[in-house]
Amino acid sequence: MTDAKKTRSYKLRIWRQPDAASTGRLVDYEVADVDPDSSFLEMLDHLNETLVKKGEEPVAFESDCREGICGACGVCIDGRPHGPVTHLTTCGLRMREFGDGVTITVEPFRANAFPVVKDLIVDRSSFDRVIERGGYVSVNAGSAPDANALPISTDMAEDAMDSAACIGCGACVASCPNASASLFVGAKIRQMKILPQGDVERTRRALAMVEQMDAEGFGDCSNHGECEAACPKAISIENIATLRREYLRAAFRS
Amino acid sequence: MSTPRFQLWSSVGKKLLTGITGLALMGFIVTHLVGNLNLFVGSEAFNGYTEALHQLGGLLVVAELGLAGLFLLHAVSAILVWRDNSGARSVQNTVVASKGSPSKQTVFSQSMIVTGSVLLVFVVLHVAQFRFGIFGGLDYTTTLDGKEVRDLYRLVVETFKNPAWVVVYVGVMVLLGGHLRHGFWSAFQSVGLLDPMLRPLAYSAGAVFAVAIAVGFLVMPIYLFLFA
Amino acid sequence: MDVEIVDGSLSSGSPDGDIQTKWDRHRFEMKLVNPANKRKYTVIVVGTGLAGGAAAATLAELGYNVLNFCIQDTPRRAHSVAAQGGINAAKNYPNDGDSVWRLFYDTVKGGDFRAREDNVYRLAQCSVNIIDQCVAQGVPFAREYGGQLANRSFGGAQVSRTFYARGQTGQQLLLGAYGSLMRQVDAGRVKMFTRREMLDLVVVDGHAKGIICRNLATGKLERYAADAVCLATGGYSTAYFLSTNAVNSNATAAWRCHKRGAYFANPCFMQIHPTCIPLSGPSQSKLTLMSESLRNDGRIWVPKKQGDTRPPSQIPEDERDYFLERRYPSFGNLVPRDVASRAAKLACDEGYGVGATGLAVYLDFSEAIERLGRDNVKQKYGNLFDMYEEITAESPYETPMRIYPAPHYTMGGLWVDYNLQSTIPGLHVLGEANFSDHGANRLGASALMQGLADGYFVIPYTLGNYLADTKPGFDDTNDPAFDEAETNVRGTIDRLLAARGKKTPREFHWELGRLLWDQCGMSREQEGLRQTAEKIRELRDEFWQNVHVAGSGEELNQHLEYAGRVADYFELGELIAVDAYNRNESCGCHLRLDHQTEEGEAVRDDENYSHVAAWEYTGDLSKPRLHREKLEFNNVHLAVRNYK
Repeated sequence: MTDAKKTRSYKLRIWRQPDAASTGRLVDYEVADVDPDSSFLEMLDHLNETLVKKGEEPVAFESDCREGICGACGVCIDGRPHGPVTHLTTCGLRMREFGDGVTITVEPFRANAFPVVKDLIVDRSSFDRVIERGGYVSVNAGSAPDANALPISTDMAEDAMDSAACIGCGACVASCPNASASLFVGAKIRQMKILPQGDVERTRRALAMVEQMDAEGFGDCSNHGECEAACPKAISIENIATLRREYLRAAFRS
Repeated sequence: MSTPRFQLWSSVGKKLLTGITGLALMGFIVTHLVGNLNLFVGSEAFNGYTEALHQLGGLLVVAELGLAGLFLLHAVSAILVWRDNSGARSVQNTVVASKGSPSKQTVFSQSMIVTGSVLLVFVVLHVAQFRFGIFGGLDYTTTLDGKEVRDLYRLVVETFKNPAWVVVYVGVMVLLGGHLRHGFWSAFQSVGLLDPMLRPLAYSAGAVFAVAIAVGFLVMPIYLFLFA
Repeated sequence: MDVEIVDGSLSSGSPDGDIQTKWDRHRFEMKLVNPANKRKYTVIVVGTGLAGGAAAATLAELGYNVLNFCIQDTPRRAHSVAAQGGINAAKNYPNDGDSVWRLFYDTVKGGDFRAREDNVYRLAQCSVNIIDQCVAQGVPFAREYGGQLANRSFGGAQVSRTFYARGQTGQQLLLGAYGSLMRQVDAGRVKMFTRREMLDLVVVDGHAKGIICRNLATGKLERYAADAVCLATGGYSTAYFLSTNAVNSNATAAWRCHKRGAYFANPCFMQIHPTCIPLSGPSQSKLTLMSESLRNDGRIWVPKKQGDTRPPSQIPEDERDYFLERRYPSFGNLVPRDVASRAAKLACDEGYGVGATGLAVYLDFSEAIERLGRDNVKQKYGNLFDMYEEITAESPYETPMRIYPAPHYTMGGLWVDYNLQSTIPGLHVLGEANFSDHGANRLGASALMQGLADGYFVIPYTLGNYLADTKPGFDDTNDPAFDEAETNVRGTIDRLLAARGKKTPREFHWELGRLLWDQCGMSREQEGLRQTAEKIRELRDEFWQNVHVAGSGEELNQHLEYAGRVADYFELGELIAVDAYNRNESCGCHLRLDHQTEEGEAVRDDENYSHVAAWEYTGDLSKPRLHREKLEFNNVHLAVRNYK
């Protein structure tokens, strides 16, 4: 049924690294018969099938929902996290964006706080540890008042949702020349700052999350704004401004 | 679970520090430029302005020390930011590219540490040259309203008769413009003052500010070289 | 395919009497664990989605020690994250006639009378608390201008009871649960184990006491012991290869529990979602769902002429067949999921399908754009249109969307009683992984509700009832049962790696998926099911002879992970076919061609099939034993669903 469709071939340079302890390198591959409507990850699936058939080891890469919401996938494609198209995850990127025969370099999301696990897979558990320190409202199940007891304006809800849309993929860190996690942390701080539910723990949250962010070895922010361009959910660096305000406010409240 | 504390030298603390000192320094630069415009009026106006500053006495010393402190804090926090950043990604990808708009990454944002370092050296030189007269001219005096005062105008004019100094000063002012191109809006962002409405405004204003400051300063040595 | 049938062996264990006070009475009658003793108990929770994440967090809040496992790199990526539309709750904020009773009634009826009344009633009761809990966590639900929560009508419901956060409701609810979970990790009450795949259940003296995991990052097998195990590992739609589920969603944990003695209930109840983006080619790894809210304004049609290859714009109005509007004049394009899916398949099977594959129907917005204006349509559906265009490179503003049904949700799952306990004492099953609440068809926006109800409000009570009778502190991972389970797991892995055949697991999975889709999909037929079960058996034998798995077991090896899951799909796949074969009626998603009216509508057989089909593993995959749990309908009267 795809006979009518013209398939494409690509030259790939892919980062291969057996495990965290080894050093990696770029390895050249050629992949043919790629359906231009397939996604970037399906192209890698296709490559892996051919590698396995040849008795070679397939390329390890992470993905799950393949519809842009789980945040599992993410590689640097020709130097750009999630590839050339803005506001898109790697799984949403289609091969028709790449001309027939071009060379594509595929490397992992790079940061010391994201050590490589294998090939294109990195360990992003540093994000979890930052959230652990306060990226939530401390409320036990069963203790909540009626949901409508706390009116929240549509603007507030929309604004909070803009920040809450973060999928935790780490493209912000990968794109940042400083490997900073400010956008990720800022987005959670801002969501909780806008909503009245987050008010009680506001000071502690800002201080604790920043403390953990620093302990994980992320870089500092220099306001390059590259993260906003790389973010598949178009999360604004306004969230980073909020992070600074909240931190400054905490200086006077703690 | 330890109780978290505000840390001035945390990543965000340093940004706040860099931003606040940056804003203050921009305020100083504007004042400095406005004061220096007296150079275009002539010897009496300029020396009158510098004498007025000297009349402040102890206050001037406090202001000078304060300024030195601002420069130092700005430089130290920025250098620490730079140091931490270079340690945050030990292995770099072979291909690195920008995603483009809405990224604000430019040659200016990437070269802040370079332009900043040059400016730091320059500030030391500049103060030594004109405030402390290490290349001479500290003893130049003139009479103003019957009082003997320091003739800083003469020192400035003599300095910029030398084309080498003109080149150095013009060059550094271009770099200052570059530093401000990113520094202006970035300082507001660093202290958390920008939202999506204000950001484009601050970003555009930064370009105007950078050009105005750089041009404002660099025409002085050129003017003095040509016409004084 | 004659099977041994056992009646009367299964009891839900729910209390007798008035349904409205049942859960209250049950909560009072259940035993409690003394607060000081709770910390002496350790509970394993497998899965971190809405059910697992909520359960782990809530059990930790109560004071239990929780070991929480997930296959992803972080708990926040569990597939609950992908649910778009919303979550139902009987809040009746719009004052439009909703109530706990109506939600209960709609769910039982929507499930075509194959769900257990008591469980569904409790679900409807808990739904109210879920919204309160999520709002308190900071979930940014959509709001009205007065600041109150917004509701919409969803999936053909006649009241507006669906709460939503843009098209990302699942994500936001999951992040709420994830936040609560992370808080307990910080407090030291939950130990989080990411990149762990549960590969066997350890049963000690008849009770679930631990699990064997493969550390996916290192390949090492690990043993974990606890006083009870909660399984919340989701559904098994991925057995069909192409589904709307995440590519790593799988049936393995549940299936291995089945092989340890947990009965598998109604495996053939699998929901097909009507509005998915159709298959474009053989390299495709999954199908993408678009919210069924599209059917509120889009009109579904095919050309009246078979094999019509003209572009849709050149097909005049009178040569289009709006088949849902024609067949179901009163519900039109808003008929339930199963009905819409079946009608689309029928149209394609008869040769009216469109697109390059002929496996698609049009969903047309031109009339809506004319009626509402392009801007209004954009406001309502803009993000969905963008998503569609991203994938297909076609703009739904200009040309009709092409849609086709895809496997989406499995109502079947491990059998549980009223306390969510499986047939293995101590093994509790939550969320999509169990079978309990949706009968033969799930209503839109009810999956999130069930996952969270189980996790936040049911298991915290019912697990205590089990633990109260259990001596705390089981931690002996050297028990012979652990040795046996680990040997079993290692044997499977070694067998997969040793085959070194010619075909990849993906090729086998694709073939299995086609078999299931063709014969155990939207319509089923007895002889076809018998043959399918046989073919699956044959393909399974070939799989073990001829599969090729790359790499070794002692490292991160995604290929091996996948091969293990495919191996389990082959075993589960056969049971799906056997279950569908043995249910000689049509109900909900299960349409048997030999049990339908002349107009193609489902015909239930309440006299003989008003039961849960719970399958016991006998040691022979092809000879499962059928336990029937009779379903009683004392509160909702059995009726024929009619959407004409």
